[in-house]
Amino acid sequence: MVRLPYLTALTTLFSYGLLFVFGQLRDFFRKIIDWSKSTSKGLKGYAPICLGLEDFYTRRLYLRIQDCFSRPIASAPDAWIDVVERYSNDNNKTLHRTSNTTKCLNLGSYNYLGFAAADEYCTPRVIESLKKYSSSTCSIRVDGGTTDLHNELEELVARFVGKPAAITFGMGYVTNSAIIPILIGKGGLIISDSLNHNSIVNGARGSGAAVRVFQHNNPSHLEEVLRELIAEGQPRTHRPWKKIIVIVEGIYSMEGELCQLPEIISVCKKYKAYTYLDEAHSIGAVGKTGRGVCELLGVDPADVDIMMGTFTKSFGSCGGYIAASKEIIQYLKYSCPAHLYATSMSPPAVQQVISAIKVILGEDGSSRGAQKLAHIRENSNFFRSELQKMGFEVLGDSDSPVMPIMLYNPAKIPAFSRECLKQNVAIVTVAFPATPLLLARARICISAAHSKEDLIKGLEVISKVGDLVGIKYFPAEPPNHQGQGHKKLE
Amino acid sequence: MAKLYAQTAPPMDMNKNTEWFLYPGVWTIYVLILLLSWLLVFSVFGCTPGMAWTLVNLFHFAVTYYFFHWKKGTPFAEDQGIYNNLTWWEQMENGKQLTRNRKFLTVVPVVLYLIASHTTDYQHPMLFLNTIAVAILEVAKFPNMHKVRIFGING
Repeated sequence: MVRLPYLTALTTLFSYGLLFVFGQLRDFFRKIIDWSKSTSKGLKGYAPICLGLEDFYTRRLYLRIQDCFSRPIASAPDAWIDVVERYSNDNNKTLHRTSNTTKCLNLGSYNYLGFAAADEYCTPRVIESLKKYSSSTCSIRVDGGTTDLHNELEELVARFVGKPAAITFGMGYVTNSAIIPILIGKGGLIISDSLNHNSIVNGARGSGAAVRVFQHNNPSHLEEVLRELIAEGQPRTHRPWKKIIVIVEGIYSMEGELCQLPEIISVCKKYKAYTYLDEAHSIGAVGKTGRGVCELLGVDPADVDIMMGTFTKSFGSCGGYIAASKEIIQYLKYSCPAHLYATSMSPPAVQQVISAIKVILGEDGSSRGAQKLAHIRENSNFFRSELQKMGFEVLGDSDSPVMPIMLYNPAKIPAFSRECLKQNVAIVTVAFPATPLLLARARICISAAHSKEDLIKGLEVISKVGDLVGIKYFPAEPPNHQGQGHKKLE
Repeated sequence: MAKLYAQTAPPMDMNKNTEWFLYPGVWTIYVLILLLSWLLVFSVFGCTPGMAWTLVNLFHFAVTYYFFHWKKGTPFAEDQGIYNNLTWWEQMENGKQLTRNRKFLTVVPVVLYLIASHTTDYQHPMLFLNTIAVAILEVAKFPNMHKVRIFGING
């Protein structure tokens, strides 16, 4: 359900129209003025690199607010982060780094459990493994790249997630885009949620199977789509589909919403379709013991056929994993190109994940894991409820550490980002085409490393900047309610 | 002023170039922009209202013909060029014909034509220019013209 003020929809469309018109005018003048320079002898006869208007959005819209994206950082992405200052002499077309850094509150990194910075259990073990195994295995998994750390990690991940076996890869994006073509091919059907991540979209496109989408998080629409497609069969021959896979995510990174997993699983079981769950943002961050969205929603992991996740978000490392039955993992081990041709995960990164999982499970001998999980849940719920009380439009379910604040108008994106940076809060803003055109947003990721004071400071700054920029679209609750709310939380 | 909220289910169009057209408020802003541009032309050029409507009609014809029926592809590279042979009109709602949005966009040039010819009292040469503009636009929007390229123009 998308809900936006009508006047805001009108003004947003008008602003994008204006930006489009100005971009076209500038392109027109550039064509005229550069007419003499365009016929250079060296490139005569070659096709142009960009066909038509392919780079229009990048040149005329993205480059204007380029300083809000790709900000370089100069420290570990802990609760506070050092952001490198940049300046531009030609109106943001090129940016130059200075050697100054500003310490900002980090509300943008995927640091859900606080493992991104030095940790008292993980870091000594990571340094030891760096000394023993060095920083790279310099080999693919099947040649000489499988160390005992890799085997230990795969067993640990399988045990943590609740599946019989697991396989790990060096990159999270590649895990999706290289596995999906192996699992399904021409003659199969992939039904994916309409707001799935780009890695899943690319994997689905690369597989050669037919791809259909169902309305975001809507199990009844999924059932409708499944019934129609199973009855129709393959596109021209109308033969039955060879295989049907339904792909959903645990927490959707741009909405902060949880997937309606129990209903979707029951629909898939009814029509005998396989399920693929991408838990990139939910593994380690939700659930009583951190086992992800299955634990939170009470779904047996044996009901989901393939569970995928990444180590970048909650475990402070890099890479991804797939957990499934022993037969599927065995099949993947001898057919997946990411396993056969890509370098294996770096050993210190593997050790970081092993130590992080041990902390979460409590196997390091302390209760820090349970504390971190409780901390992130409290922080997320506190932050979200305070923002909603102030009148912001915040998406996402409760217990989800990802909260997007809606901005809508294109001009508010750089305004919000720059004003927050001036007051030392580092915020990530997301615009078209990662989100729909009208629905630009600022996405906040809460961490277990944030203390209450950090969150209160963040709330103050966001409230002030929100008033300045004008994004409090809902009526705010009157102050005496706010006072009561604060007292209850203390 | 009480805040009106518009609520929709998110549209399922995978093509980001045309998906924005399925959100609430698009029809209203389209009509408002036309009215606003008439006001601008009328106040800046100091001509008769009929002449201003004719100018808006011709300008609307030029802009919409170029961007809806001439330019192909999308203004960003994320979709890896799968729409590079389709104009915006052909990409709309995955090529499905006679949807509500298409009907609206077909009616608007006709209404503009009627207003422009009425306010100029059906005089030449404005009538001739207006008629050509509306004829070309309407032919381009017929369902039979989907992916048709005349004499290799726009191929």
